[in-house]
Amino acid sequence: MIKIAEEPMMNAQIPDGPIESKWANHKSNIKLVSPANKRKYTVIVVGTGLAGGAAAASLGELGYNVLNFCIQDTPRRAHSVAAQGGINAAKNYQNDGDSVWRLFYDTVKGGDFRAREANVYRLAELSANIIDQCAAQGVPFAREYGGTLANRSFGGAQVSRTFYARGQTGQQLLLGCYSSLMRQVDAGTVKLFPRREMLDLVVIDGRARGIVCRNLISGAIESYAADAVVLATGGYATAFFLSTNAVNSNATAIWRCHKKGALFANPCYTQIHPTCIPLAGESQSKLTLMSESLRNDGRVWVPKAKGDKRPPSQIPENERDYYLERIYPAFGNLVPRDIASRAAKRMCDSGHGVGNTGYAVYLDFADAIKRLGVDTVRDRYGNLFDMYDEITGESPYQLPMRIYPAPHYTMGGLWVDYNLMSTIPGLHVLGEANFSDHGANRLGASALMQGLADGYFVIPYTLGHYLADSKVLSAKVTTDHPAFKEAVSAVTEQTRRLVGASGKHTVREYHWKLGRILWDHVGMGRNAKGLEQAMSDIRALRDEFWKDVHVGGSDQDFNKNLEFAGRVADFMELGELMAQDAWHRNESCGGHFREEYQTPEGEAKRDDQNFCYVGAWQWSGNPSEPVLHKEELEFDYVHLAQRSYK
Amino acid sequence: MSKPQIWKSTVGKKVLASVSGLALVAFVIVHLIGNLTLFVGRDGKLFNSYAHHLESLGPLLYVAEVGLILIVVLHIATALGVRIGQRRARPQGYGVYGSKHGPSKQTLASRSMAITGVIILLFIPLHVWMFKFNAGRGFTDVDFDGHSVKDLYLVVLTAFKDPMKAWAYVGIMALLGLHLRHGFWSAFQSLGAFAPKRLPAFYAAGLICALLLAAGFIALPLYLLYCGPDPATLRGGVGG
Amino acid sequence: MKVKIKVWRQAGPNEKGAFKTYDVDGILPEMSLLETLDVLNEQLTKAGEEPVAFDSDCREGICGACGLMVNGMAHGPRRKCTSCELRMRHFGEGAMITVEPFRARAFPVIKDLVVDRSAFDRIIAAGGYTSVNAGSAPDANSILIPKDKAEKAMDSAACIGCGACVAACPNASASLFVGAKITQFSLLPQGQAERDRRALRMVAQMDEEGFGNCSNHAECEAACPKGISISNIANMRREYMHAGRVYEEHAGGGGAG
Repeated sequence: MIKIAEEPMMNAQIPDGPIESKWANHKSNIKLVSPANKRKYTVIVVGTGLAGGAAAASLGELGYNVLNFCIQDTPRRAHSVAAQGGINAAKNYQNDGDSVWRLFYDTVKGGDFRAREANVYRLAELSANIIDQCAAQGVPFAREYGGTLANRSFGGAQVSRTFYARGQTGQQLLLGCYSSLMRQVDAGTVKLFPRREMLDLVVIDGRARGIVCRNLISGAIESYAADAVVLATGGYATAFFLSTNAVNSNATAIWRCHKKGALFANPCYTQIHPTCIPLAGESQSKLTLMSESLRNDGRVWVPKAKGDKRPPSQIPENERDYYLERIYPAFGNLVPRDIASRAAKRMCDSGHGVGNTGYAVYLDFADAIKRLGVDTVRDRYGNLFDMYDEITGESPYQLPMRIYPAPHYTMGGLWVDYNLMSTIPGLHVLGEANFSDHGANRLGASALMQGLADGYFVIPYTLGHYLADSKVLSAKVTTDHPAFKEAVSAVTEQTRRLVGASGKHTVREYHWKLGRILWDHVGMGRNAKGLEQAMSDIRALRDEFWKDVHVGGSDQDFNKNLEFAGRVADFMELGELMAQDAWHRNESCGGHFREEYQTPEGEAKRDDQNFCYVGAWQWSGNPSEPVLHKEELEFDYVHLAQRSYK
Repeated sequence: MSKPQIWKSTVGKKVLASVSGLALVAFVIVHLIGNLTLFVGRDGKLFNSYAHHLESLGPLLYVAEVGLILIVVLHIATALGVRIGQRRARPQGYGVYGSKHGPSKQTLASRSMAITGVIILLFIPLHVWMFKFNAGRGFTDVDFDGHSVKDLYLVVLTAFKDPMKAWAYVGIMALLGLHLRHGFWSAFQSLGAFAPKRLPAFYAAGLICALLLAAGFIALPLYLLYCGPDPATLRGGVGG
Repeated sequence: MKVKIKVWRQAGPNEKGAFKTYDVDGILPEMSLLETLDVLNEQLTKAGEEPVAFDSDCREGICGACGLMVNGMAHGPRRKCTSCELRMRHFGEGAMITVEPFRARAFPVIKDLVVDRSAFDRIIAAGGYTSVNAGSAPDANSILIPKDKAEKAMDSAACIGCGACVAACPNASASLFVGAKITQFSLLPQGQAERDRRALRMVAQMDEEGFGNCSNHAECEAACPKGISISNIANMRREYMHAGRVYEEHAGGGGAG
């Protein structure tokens, strides 16, 4: 049933040499663009989050002519802003035995041996530079009394390497990045295009040479030519409809590039975050994440008795099951996200869940308040407690929080080589939009690290290499090229088709249905039968969507329904690919948990014999018949082993 | 960077409005202390000699008066600039608007700065005409210990024995208090005087300053109206 | 719950707008106001009417995209709360909720409740940064910052750029937004090199955008979802006047300009 490419093995262009010197050697060997020539190159950067914003700012600093696009009204709102907990860096400021090696090791192991070693090592190496850069920008990181940077341990790490700015680390890093970006806007090297949605990639002579986008205010279809395109448009967790992502987060840019020839890697690797506020009702638009840092001091428990509906205060200590501490004594409440999420699901599925729906577990701070005092707890988590209180009307100072897992991050994304270039020459993909560094599961506080590493410290080198190396680019193209006209007319046609659709159901109804299918069958627990069901359900839903959706309004106007319709149409195709990928991967690893493949204790059981590869899918023209390419993963430094957090 | 136009900026204008405002507050305080001499004795001797001393300053007094006028003009110009900018910055108002309270210092006082300011402005020439020039009627002299001084006390007493005038003064002085309730602390905020911890103290000080000044100025006409001597018999005229 | 939503409808920047009232049924107390608008929009879409346009993104109070005047208050009656965090349990059964766009000359209406806040971007571009290129930063711990300074800087840096301060201000002043950014950098060693230039340029840009002057109503602090204090405004004035003096000295000129 799976189509496999004739020449399936992909070349990731990993530099030679020992892992410690790959990046340094590569930097010394790659080609450079002379300072005088940089301004002659136009680079499109799509996205203004940590990856895109950092890339646009850094490329602007180098002197490239940068065009930077985002769907929000200002770059500062990209969803990186919502990351709460922190950012990892192998600084070893705490003298607790951290090192580049250890961060590399933890990330490879945390990713359940499905990430590319060379990329992860580079990420760990660059992590220290990121903190320096952000501190210099004036990001107000938490400090010790002596003025040095404070750290905390976070999400399954046994060293304190996480830097943070209260519960708003993502916001502060993004604002640092945004300030650098605005400095370049003032300097004239970066031109901003806010409220633009990228709807197509223009490929000329096999190279990415521009984009087509919709002006979300006027509805105009605009096209822009460039010498290279950098995509940093984030992940696709909103395919689930309810997720911790922003309501406008979407996969349209990466999906349209996929349809233009970029391979999509590991779409089934999705991360379900363990600590979110549970679902309350059908009209809910998103799930709110409560920072994982809460697990540093909060204790997770459920009643020992099934269906125990007593209020938590009336359940005595000996009738509570602190299941994470019980099952994983070494890591306790700090086990990695995938493990914590699945444990919560198991508890609820077996009838121990709490709250009205029975789909929640307690995260209790009573002991922490007793041990540390209410003031210390307020200092550490005050804003998170307030946020929880505002949403649920309950105070975590008095009652345990109720939490449940929710889709949060997607490790899969467009396939990129070591230079972060996709299979379309000239199309580079950064941050969550690519697949590269987190394997099958991402550790807490690593997403911010990856986005910024890609944007500040990788792409400035590798993009120059591409441009200097590509003689063909001396022939400048303009938007008058027929390829642009073609792309514009295809986009216009789809837009008109959607806006003219006058069925009975709204876009939101379809998105909700798709989300249910994905959550039920391609969520925390998956099996072959369910995945087959999901694929056929999605196909049916997709047909129905095109027949019976109602969009309304005009395409020449600000039209939210139209924006969402395009995104949902893409999710309907991507969703099937997620199921397809999950179905083909007959093993469990990280966030991909196939119920058929588990250890007797219910942990993920990998099959390194048959699945130690990246599954990169090629668009065939039919969403149900993608073609599989493989990139063999070799573990020369961290030896393949069963993950254990006990 | 081109030369910054500090005094044309919003910040610069606020600083000018504040400095001029505080200068006017200082004047008003001195004015009140001088006027408190009205409470001393029942023949106005102290008050008249205070007024006499002021007048005998000669050219210095004119310099002070011109200075005062300039400060008033500066205060009006900068403060009205704020008010006009306010209209321009929000051409279309809200259908519904309310304060969120909490740390908000938006009060009747803060909202009515322009109105109370304009009323006080209109009051100043009337006030000067009434007392400095006795409405063009001229002054009588009175002898104290062999010195002949202008009998300003009689003019003030006569005026405030008219309940209409006395109560009008009370009203206007209440408005002055209202103006100062926001103006006083606000001036310090505009001059950048605040660390967050000091703000409540200054805000409270603003209230006390406004209350004391208003109370002082309100007490005077009421005291003269209800407790002052009869102007007809004061200088031994008719009855003597 | 059942509520009435009285909402500002305006087809475009140059069109005339007006209030229109809608009934919305089936609202749960734990829903947010924006989810209530979602329900209204589903209702309108199905009825073939134009849905109400409004900005929103993260729906957890940090991106700053949403910004509505709710019953005459920026982000509604709750303190330290954004429109997306505002839950329906704060309104009674059958309540009439008036929803308007943020209004200021510098924030022109684009459609219905959507306004253009790019003036804020231009203010940041004028100086809300430290000039440090990627790759040129010293080791992070070589810049020591006392804990209390870092905390104060964080208080100012918490701004989400929503514009509620402008919307709530009777004068439509952006002083809190600008003051917070100037203050954040004035507290940190990293911000010292460009301290004067930053204050001068950001205030000049703020004035150019057509925001009103500040009358110290402090309504901005009450409306700010992050509770940023007006002491940031006091500090901005100090920074600006100091910068102006220093500029005069450097320029060799004397007296007030």
